[in-house]
Amino acid sequence: MALPAVLLSAAAAAWSVDGATQAVLFEDHRAPVVTIVVELPVGTWSPFFERRDGETAFTFQDDDSGRSLRRRMDATGITIDLDVDRRFSVMRATTLTDRVPEALGLVQSILANRDYDERELSRHRRERKILWHQTDTDVGFKLSQAAARELFAEGDPRRTAWEKPPDASTNGAALAEARDEILRTPGRLIGFAGDVTRADAERWAAGLLPPAGTAPSGVAPAFAPVRPAGDRARERDLPIRKLTQVYLAYVRDSIPLDDPRRPAFLIADHVLGGHFYSRLVTALRHEGGETYGAGTRDDGDVASGVYRVSTFTRADNAAHIEGKLRETLRVFRQDGITEEERAGAVSALSGARAFARQAPAQLLARYRLERRLGLPEGAIDATIDRAAEVPLAEINAFIRAFYDPAAFSMLRAVPR
Amino acid sequence: MWIALLLALKTTTLPNGLEVSILDDPAMPVVATQLWYHVGAANEDRGSRGLAHLFEHLMFGGTAAYPKGEYSRYVTLAGGDENAFTSEDETVYVSAVPPSAFPGILLREGDRMRSLLLNEENLANEKKIVTEELRLRTENDPMSRLLVEAQHALLAGHPYSFDPSGSKEDVSRATVYGCRAFYDAHYRPNHAHLVVVGNVSPEETLRQVEESFGAIVPGGVTPPEIPSLLDWTYPDKLDLKEDIPPVEIALAGMPLPPADAPDAAAVEVLRELLTGGSLDPFRELVVTERGKALEAGIEWLGLKRGGGVVFYAASLPYRRRATAFRTIDDGLASLDGLAWLTDETLDAAKRRLRTEDLGARYYAERMADRIGEARWHRGDAASALTWSDRLDAVTREEVALAWKRYISSGRRIRVYVKPERVPVLIRMFGWLYPLFS
Repeated sequence: MALPAVLLSAAAAAWSVDGATQAVLFEDHRAPVVTIVVELPVGTWSPFFERRDGETAFTFQDDDSGRSLRRRMDATGITIDLDVDRRFSVMRATTLTDRVPEALGLVQSILANRDYDERELSRHRRERKILWHQTDTDVGFKLSQAAARELFAEGDPRRTAWEKPPDASTNGAALAEARDEILRTPGRLIGFAGDVTRADAERWAAGLLPPAGTAPSGVAPAFAPVRPAGDRARERDLPIRKLTQVYLAYVRDSIPLDDPRRPAFLIADHVLGGHFYSRLVTALRHEGGETYGAGTRDDGDVASGVYRVSTFTRADNAAHIEGKLRETLRVFRQDGITEEERAGAVSALSGARAFARQAPAQLLARYRLERRLGLPEGAIDATIDRAAEVPLAEINAFIRAFYDPAAFSMLRAVPR
Repeated sequence: MWIALLLALKTTTLPNGLEVSILDDPAMPVVATQLWYHVGAANEDRGSRGLAHLFEHLMFGGTAAYPKGEYSRYVTLAGGDENAFTSEDETVYVSAVPPSAFPGILLREGDRMRSLLLNEENLANEKKIVTEELRLRTENDPMSRLLVEAQHALLAGHPYSFDPSGSKEDVSRATVYGCRAFYDAHYRPNHAHLVVVGNVSPEETLRQVEESFGAIVPGGVTPPEIPSLLDWTYPDKLDLKEDIPPVEIALAGMPLPPADAPDAAAVEVLRELLTGGSLDPFRELVVTERGKALEAGIEWLGLKRGGGVVFYAASLPYRRRATAFRTIDDGLASLDGLAWLTDETLDAAKRRLRTEDLGARYYAERMADRIGEARWHRGDAASALTWSDRLDAVTREEVALAWKRYISSGRRIRVYVKPERVPVLIRMFGWLYPLFS
C-alpha cells in the first residue's frame, strides 16, 4: 500500500551515543511538538526489579521532598511520564519545540534526584495495600491471575506479576541507589520524535545521561518452561461477589512473536476472533445474541504469554454459551479456514498497518518495541508479509495443532 | 504547516440540511469518517431508556443494498476500523480506512441513513446483546454500580439521569414500531453532521457526499433543548454504599455550565490548571501538607449541556462524616486564595493544552471527533481548529472569575460513599492511622 511521502521520509535515523547507549530520531516537522524518550532495559520481569523495588524506584523519582521537580513541570508546561513495563523502564517528555532544552534539563534533574519524598512513599505503600482489596472484584484481574497460575511456574515473572506485591519500599536512599543502577544499565535508548533535526538530536543525546556502568545482576527475566498442558486444570471457577454475568477465558500458552509459526497464527487468529464478523463474534453475538463481546487476546511477546479466547453472558446462560464456544472451536479446528477467509485476513492485516504510522511518536514506539524484544527493525510488519505467503494447507495444519482442546483450560468468573 | 489546516477545512450544508465538514490533510495515511446524529440518550422518552443506544445497534442490521454484516466486512477487508457510540447527547458512527476504501464508506452511510431494514428477528437479537452490554457496563463492577446509582439519584428527573445503556426493562419493551418511529424522527440529514478527515480531495469528496446523501428527504423532529445542569435542582446530600476497598470517600460536587457557555474557554483552562498538571493543588493541600486524607483529588466531567467538578477525599473507615466534609471545605477555602493561579502556571496550562491539541492533529480519527464535537457541543465545526487560540486568549482574571462563579460560590452537593465490608484489623485499628502518617 502506498503511503504519503511525509511518512515514508520518516525512517529512523539511529546512531550510537556511547558503547552502552543508542539514540534514534523520527524527524517530522508538521507540528512544533517533540517527544523525548529515555528507555532503560530493566522492567518488572527483571529479578532486579523485585529485589530492589525497581518499580517504586523508577516511578517515584520525580517526587522530591520539596516537590520542586513537579513544580518545574507545572511551571513550564512540559509533561513528563514515568512508566515501567515488563521489559523496560521509560521516561517520556512531551513539549512544544521551544522548550526542549528545559525538558532535557528536567529529565536530567529527575534522573539525578536522590531526595525521594519518604512521606509520599509511605502513602504509596499504604495505598497499594488498600487497593489490593480491589482485585477481589476485578473480573479481568482474576481471570488473568488464574491463567498465569495455570500456565506458569511459581517464581516465573509472568506469574509473579499477578500476585500480591510485597510492601513498597519507603527508604528513599535505597530507592535512589536502585534507580541509579537501572539508569547505568547498558542497552539504553534515547529517542526523539517530532520537530527535531538530526544535528540537535545528536547534540542533546550526547550529554543527556550519566555514564553507563555494568549491568546489575538479574536484569534479564528468568522464565521457567511453560507448565505442560497435562499439569494444568482443565477448568476452574473463580467466584466473585455480586456478578450477574459469567465471564469465560479459554486459555493456553501463546505463540511468541519470533516463532516460525507466528505468520500462520496471525491468519488463524484473525479469522477466529480478530474482527466484528469473526467466527466467534458471528456464532456468539450475531447468531442468537448470547453476548455483547467475544474474541481472542494474546499477551505474549518473544516469550510465550497467555492466549485467551473469551466471552461472557448472563449467569443463567453460561453453560449454553460455553457449549457454543467449544463447538465453534471444534469446527474451526476440524475444518480449518477457507481460501476466502485467508485472503481476507491478509488484506485486513496489511491494511491495518497504516494506523500505526500516523504520528512520529507511533513510529518511535514501534521502533522501541522491536528493539527491546531483540527483533530486527521492521520485523512486526515483515511477519505480516510472511503471513501473506503461508499456504492455506499450512495454516490449517497449524490450526489443528494449536487449537487442540487438550492444550486449553477453561476459566470462569462466576457469581459467588 | 498546520496553520493551513483551517483553510483546508471545508464546511457546507446540503440542500436537505446535512452539514458536511471535510478536512483534507495529505499527510494522513487513513481517512476517518464520522456521522454525528444529533440525538442521544438524553432525548429519549421516559419508558424508553436505552432506545438511542439500542437503535445504534440496529443501524448495523443491513439494508437491501448492503445486507447485515456487509459494511463491517468491507471495512475489515480494507484493514480499517468501524464502530459507533451513543452518549447522552449524540449517536456517532465512526470508521477509518485507507484512502482507497473511503468512497465505499460514504455509499454505505448514506444508504443506512434512510434505508435500514428493521425486523423482529434483528430487534430481538440486538435486545439480548444490548442487555448483555448493559450488564457489563453497569452491573458487574463496583465503581460502575456506584456511578450509575449516583447519576440516577443526583440528577433525578433530568434527561442526563440515566446511563446511555438505559434500563433492562425498557430495552425489553422496545418494539419495531417504536424503533421505526425513532428512526423517522431522528435519522434525517437535517439532524446530522458528516465529518471526513484525511488525504481526500474536498471537491471530489463533496461530489461523493452529494451522490450518497443528496437525495435523502429531510424531516423528523427536533428534540427539545436539554436543561442546563447549572440550572437544575439537586439534592443536598447522598449516601452510598458499595463493595469497594476499605475506605470511605467524601465528595463535594458543583455543576458546571454548558459547553457553549460564553466562558467555556475559561472553564477549560481552569480544568487544566486544576487537573492537568503534575501536581493536583487540592491533593497537595489535603494530603501532602495537612495529612487529612489517604488520597484526595479533583475529577472533572463534561457533557453538552453542562458538567460537574468533584473534589474528593478518601480515608480509612473510622472518620466522622462531618470531619470529612470539613476537610474538603477547608481545602476549598484555601484554594480560594488562588495561589495556584499565577501568570506562570496559567501560561504552562495553556502550553499543555496547545501541545495536546497539536498532538491530536496527526490522527484522522481524533480530528474527526474534535470537529464533530465542536459543531454539536459548541455550535461551530471550525472551532475544532481555532479553540486553542481561544484558550490562549483566556486571562488570569477570567479563570479567577470561573473559579469563583462555579466552585467557590457554586452549589455544593455532598456525597458520602462507604465500603460494604471492612477487614477486622482496619475496623479495630484504623483510627491509629493519623498517629503514623
